[in-house]
Amino acid sequence: MSLSEVMASLLLLSGCLFYVAGTVGLLRFPDVFSRLHALTKADNLGLFLICTGLALHSGSLRIAGLLLIVWILGLLAATVSCHLIARRAVRSGQMEPPA
Amino acid sequence: MIGLAMDCVLALGIVFLAVQTVRSRSLFQAMLMFIVFGLLMSLSWARLHAPDLALAEAAIGAGITGALLLVTWRRLQAEGHDPVESEQSAPSMWLTLPTAGAASLLVVIIGWVALQLPAVPGTAGELAWQRLEEVGVSNPVTGVLLGFRAYDTLLEMAVLLAAWLGARAVATEFRPGALPGPAHAEVPLVGALLSLVVPISILVAVYLLQAGGSAPGGAFQGGAVLAAGGVLLCLTGRLEAAADTSGLERLGLILGLSVFSLVGLLVMAGGGPMLALPGAWAIYLVETALLVSIALTLVLLFAAAPGLRRAS
Amino acid sequence: MNPSALIYLLTAAIVFGIGLHGLLQSRQILRQLLCINLMGGGIFLLLITLGGGADGPPDPVPQAMVLTGIVIAVSATAFALALLLRWHELGDSTELDAVANADANTHDE
Repeated sequence: MSLSEVMASLLLLSGCLFYVAGTVGLLRFPDVFSRLHALTKADNLGLFLICTGLALHSGSLRIAGLLLIVWILGLLAATVSCHLIARRAVRSGQMEPPA
Repeated sequence: MIGLAMDCVLALGIVFLAVQTVRSRSLFQAMLMFIVFGLLMSLSWARLHAPDLALAEAAIGAGITGALLLVTWRRLQAEGHDPVESEQSAPSMWLTLPTAGAASLLVVIIGWVALQLPAVPGTAGELAWQRLEEVGVSNPVTGVLLGFRAYDTLLEMAVLLAAWLGARAVATEFRPGALPGPAHAEVPLVGALLSLVVPISILVAVYLLQAGGSAPGGAFQGGAVLAAGGVLLCLTGRLEAAADTSGLERLGLILGLSVFSLVGLLVMAGGGPMLALPGAWAIYLVETALLVSIALTLVLLFAAAPGLRRAS
Repeated sequence: MNPSALIYLLTAAIVFGIGLHGLLQSRQILRQLLCINLMGGGIFLLLITLGGGADGPPDPVPQAMVLTGIVIAVSATAFALALLLRWHELGDSTELDAVANADANTHDE
């Protein structure tokens, strides 16, 4: 396997590890805020690593650009939905607003 | 080898999610498991060399179906109902488990026998591959959908319209509060997201439509992405339910069916067989009409309202 | 036979069986809808597996049919959900037998 293939595989694997970490955080953390923290931080970084690995694997600049757009859209969606979930948790009394 | 491992993992995940859908105590959890089941099915379509299906399952099967289920759940909750599985009057396990087992066995036997059969020459699929140039597109699935089996697609549009008409006929009282309203409209992040995502959804939908001729894509996938943009607008309070279907909405709802039928009838008037679309331009024309109809019907089904208008 | 095809065939059969079992066992309409969709998904998987996607060029006819099937499944689910909401409005329950049982009870008295 060439160097770029090895790099791509490593990036994909580490992306998957971050996703596993985020999912473990979702399942094990006690309250909404810490679960959101685990999900958005770990999953977005995992998505970045996976997109980079795929871009390296494809070897095409066009696909790399499209994957960058995919990552940005994923970031936006995660950010806004995280904010809305946190707002809802505070408003419904489930969590105390951070001081 | 890696492919086989991935197939095994996908298969285990699909079976696990199906079991969770059926066995979860909470209906909400069952719905979420079903949505993830749709996503894993999309991955298995990709593994089975069906990228059009993967796109369609992700957009329609997981996305739109999930949105419909969740909004129905929300409406049931808003009316004060928390569905709990009642314990009585379920048929005995001794009856249902063997029935389900026999059904699975039947499916396995059918599949096993069909897979063992030698390949028969001259099947419809082979003919489709051979005569694809006659249709004018190079994506075989689009060629089959709009060229060789155009009747099926025409009647599928009729089924979609009939579903909306049925939903409209059943919902007798118009509930203006059926969608979340201004509470979400005041969050500034949401406005910024919408101003980026909704134009992108239109762009992606039109791209999928145009790419459907030569690459995986097509009217249904594009229509589902456009419907997703519409669902976002409904959820964030930019679109609200209207009491009646406007003229433009009525036109949009029947556009796919009527353009398709019209083109087919004109072809018949011109001497050819009905619905034998004369070339790629006709296919793109019909697919554009289908895109508009599919998107509008799915958004109206989601909103469960006769019409939609811009929120004041 | 291709081992991948066998795996997907078994998955399709198991998912169909699970869906059928859930449909027979559950009383909630929403869960019955989910089970019907599960059964549909299993049969779609069977159709595409039989279409020989594993080796050689994939057969486009079953793919087009399953695409049609997915759209029809979502139409039917949307209509069924509208019916469910109306049923709930009428009888304040989300189970098919509850209203009939309530009527039977009042007739007995």
